[in-house]
Amino acid sequence: MSNINSTKGPDWTSTEKAFFRFLFIYFILQAIPVSTDFFKTVSGFNWLKISYGDIFNLSRLSAKFIPGPDNFLNWAIILVIALLGSVLWPRSTYKNVDYDKLYYWLRVVVRYRLAIGIIGYGFIKFFPLQAPFPSISNLNTSYGDFTDWKIFSMSLGITPGYEAFLGGIEILAGLLLFFRQTATIGAIIILIFTGNVFISNLAYQGGEYVYASYLISFALFVLWFDAQRIYKLISLEQPTEPNRFKPLFTVQTQKIRLILKSVIIFFFVFLYGFKTYSGLHHDPYQFPKAGGLAGAAGIYDVTEFKINGQVRPYNPADPIRWKDVVFERWATISIRSNRPVRIDSANYEQLFAQDKDRNYELAGSGGRHYYSYVIDTVHKTLLLENKNVHYKTERLTLSYSRPDTSTIVLSGLNEKRDTIHVVLNRIDKKYPLKMSRRKALKL
Amino acid sequence: MSEHKQHDTSNIAREVAIKPWSKSKKFGFRVLFIFLLAMCIPFSGNWYKNVFTLDWSRPHYRDLYDIARFQPSFVSLFVGQRNRDITDSPGAEAGAEKSKKKPKTAQKISSERGDQAGRQTGLPQKRNFLLDYLDWGIALLIGVIGALIWTIFDRKSKSYHVLYYWIRVVVRYRAGIGIIGFGFTKLFPTQMPYPSLGLLNSNFGDFTAQKVYWLSVGIVPWYQVFGGVVEILAGVLLFFRKTTTFGAILLVAALGDITFVNYAYDGGVHVYAFYFVVLGFFLAADDFPKLYNLLILERYTVPFRIYPDLSQPALKYTRIGLKALTFIIFFGVMTYTEVINFKYDPYKQPSTAGLKVLRGNYRVTEFKINGQNIPYNPLDSVRWQEATFENWTTLTFRVNRPVLIDPSNGGGSPMRDIQRTFEISGVAGGQRAFHYYADTVDHVLYLQDKNVMALRGKRKEAGKKTPETDNWISQAAWQHIGNEKEMIDKRAWSTRRDREFAEKQPVTKRNRMVLKYDTADGNRVILSGLNEHKDSIYVVLDRYQRQYILPKSSLNAGKY
Repeated sequence: MSNINSTKGPDWTSTEKAFFRFLFIYFILQAIPVSTDFFKTVSGFNWLKISYGDIFNLSRLSAKFIPGPDNFLNWAIILVIALLGSVLWPRSTYKNVDYDKLYYWLRVVVRYRLAIGIIGYGFIKFFPLQAPFPSISNLNTSYGDFTDWKIFSMSLGITPGYEAFLGGIEILAGLLLFFRQTATIGAIIILIFTGNVFISNLAYQGGEYVYASYLISFALFVLWFDAQRIYKLISLEQPTEPNRFKPLFTVQTQKIRLILKSVIIFFFVFLYGFKTYSGLHHDPYQFPKAGGLAGAAGIYDVTEFKINGQVRPYNPADPIRWKDVVFERWATISIRSNRPVRIDSANYEQLFAQDKDRNYELAGSGGRHYYSYVIDTVHKTLLLENKNVHYKTERLTLSYSRPDTSTIVLSGLNEKRDTIHVVLNRIDKKYPLKMSRRKALKL
Repeated sequence: MSEHKQHDTSNIAREVAIKPWSKSKKFGFRVLFIFLLAMCIPFSGNWYKNVFTLDWSRPHYRDLYDIARFQPSFVSLFVGQRNRDITDSPGAEAGAEKSKKKPKTAQKISSERGDQAGRQTGLPQKRNFLLDYLDWGIALLIGVIGALIWTIFDRKSKSYHVLYYWIRVVVRYRAGIGIIGFGFTKLFPTQMPYPSLGLLNSNFGDFTAQKVYWLSVGIVPWYQVFGGVVEILAGVLLFFRKTTTFGAILLVAALGDITFVNYAYDGGVHVYAFYFVVLGFFLAADDFPKLYNLLILERYTVPFRIYPDLSQPALKYTRIGLKALTFIIFFGVMTYTEVINFKYDPYKQPSTAGLKVLRGNYRVTEFKINGQNIPYNPLDSVRWQEATFENWTTLTFRVNRPVLIDPSNGGGSPMRDIQRTFEISGVAGGQRAFHYYADTVDHVLYLQDKNVMALRGKRKEAGKKTPETDNWISQAAWQHIGNEKEMIDKRAWSTRRDREFAEKQPVTKRNRMVLKYDTADGNRVILSGLNEHKDSIYVVLDRYQRQYILPKSSLNAGKY
């Protein structure tokens, strides 16, 4: 493609060139997900039945040399490579490149990478999946028994409308980045929005602060292109020259450009948007999908508790006795007792397809032990398995009977192979969050 | 090329300055001018009363906060509505339990709003989207009428560049001061307190939406500080011409979010938050066409604005003096009073230290009522389940019996600890919170329910007359208890505090208990006496250590 510009930008000084060479290598490396995760994610794709989880995981990839969660050390490595590269560059055959043109294309790469990243998070909020309404177990856990990150997520989860609003802002910012003229506005929105996300992550001890800084650094780069112009026009109130550089395309390259742009927008906006929408209705990712015991969902008082034939009466200080039991709509049972819980914590976003990996309900939460279960309807038995990674081996085998709709009797072996017999009675629990907000509440 | 452009520039600017405005533009400006003035000038008597009675030698943070905090309130001018805290939720009025008789007109308005019944029983008001903004509508009406009159008398003016400058100054300072007042209560985090023991022990599902939001910020004081910094930064940027637009954009973004939060979580401050969005949008809007031209159309852009000449010494020094005064009051004095408030008298938390020996989480080991022992059962509707003595003068306990929830956000600006209800407002699950005066000589606690809603549901008791003189605490006991006004650190005493304590308190019906406490070291506490139903109770409390997963606050308000 040729590049004949009617007006060229001001000439580049050698310092600017040197600095640019560094930024060029740095951002290209940051933008391309050079990591084993990339191949894992892409090879895991079922291209015929692609899920929103796949697209999300793809949108969240960044260069990674150190396995595990995001780490600023990866940045340091890229920084060193970029420094070396920018020193070597002037000695190569590429020393006389058109810097305006290169800047343009670098900004294109950064814009698109940023747009995809921000839209990735946008849709799982716009269709409120990321922070779902708290489960029955979560509603019946003491406030002090959560990590602050979990409270943040649940507090957002109680207002799906607000969550959708936040997602809408992210999507809007992403869409603005797909176009040269509006990219700066998108970057400003992201700086304010993701700046807040970054601080929230630090304050609530979330695990996304590295990724948030990643998006912020990209947004700063996009904004920098126009920052001086804006300062000159708004603060100094002086006449200001706009961007004069426009890439010129031949008919052929224009076609390729349009096709590429359409494919990216189709994949990350339309397909992803549609998939998250249907995901909200068919398979929200935070909670398991498999259904629980029919008609059992609710919280139950432990009316009777026998262990090895010995009755243990109500006693708030009892170290063993169960206090209450929750049956979720899906196949999870949670038991509140005085037995301490080592926290299973996941504070950054991963989308899991398998029920056993979906640990949102217990992540960052104490006070209760969470069990997934399998129902054997023939023998009327529940096979419970502790979901917490620290108690992976715990199994309970309990036969169940349901004398009436509000009573469940469980008996069998607990995690220590002691015989237990438990009578559960459903509590008609009411939650202010689920009731009219315009009436006086007597609860 | 550039010389040519320069030439162009001055020409363009001159042309724009001379060019007369169209009739509709002039009319539009007049409406906007008067409307914005009506929005930015305080019209309530209380505002002026506060300013002119302010004792600068013994200030209280609320004195300054009240200067910064107002919005158009024409309706209240006509119907004499009580000047309630606009940063508080609608239900707070009921919570503040002032049952002043309102003029008939007020009742009419109330019933028009469809909340008369609600007010009488202290229920949250029904919200009507448009009626919330009634005062703005009146401001706009004043703008239109004013503009019509203005148009009749002013036939000469071709344009209003200078007036436009001045209305921008008014709006800049109004928004700047207002948001700084808001921001300081976050900078020294007192607006959203860290949850007390009673709140930490409550289930997540037992809170109202509003409570969930307030607490979610309260648990991360440093984030609250950050929020304060953003708000104050937006305010500071508004004080300078060069940075006004950036401040306005920040203001619109931050307060737009807060507006949405208030709608989503029933925060009740949506109108006041949106007020700043409108002001910020007005300030930033001026630059939008220029930015559109520069960034989106990618055209050469010439900014244009006319500034009045303020180079005359008199004008110059007036300007500098006023600006300096704003900074001294809203940064200097404000910082001082907010630090004092944070350290000794955090306004949503009771500020009197509770009995040192009685603090922490307690299990209710034994509970007797009228001599009859009641064993522990989580479903029992009489027995206390668990109790806490907070750092301040509050006893909380949980009983499995429903109670009307206090719908306020526990805010307002009361001086008396009993009216600071953050620890109980918006909490269900049978949680009770009682304020106590402690007679440490005779070892008696005089307890009063902090939730005034608790008695409202009961029709029979509501019929009883409250005695004019309230002597449930004997003079001798008062001698032992002392004067609440002087129980906080001396540095936090203020004229405002004196004034409020000197006011005669209306007698409020509350649940009351008088309990003797008996303890050696606080690990086992025996409470005995009469409960709120005049039944004799005997309660044995045993302290236990509870490990919370939620990280402790590293920024604790108050001195206990």
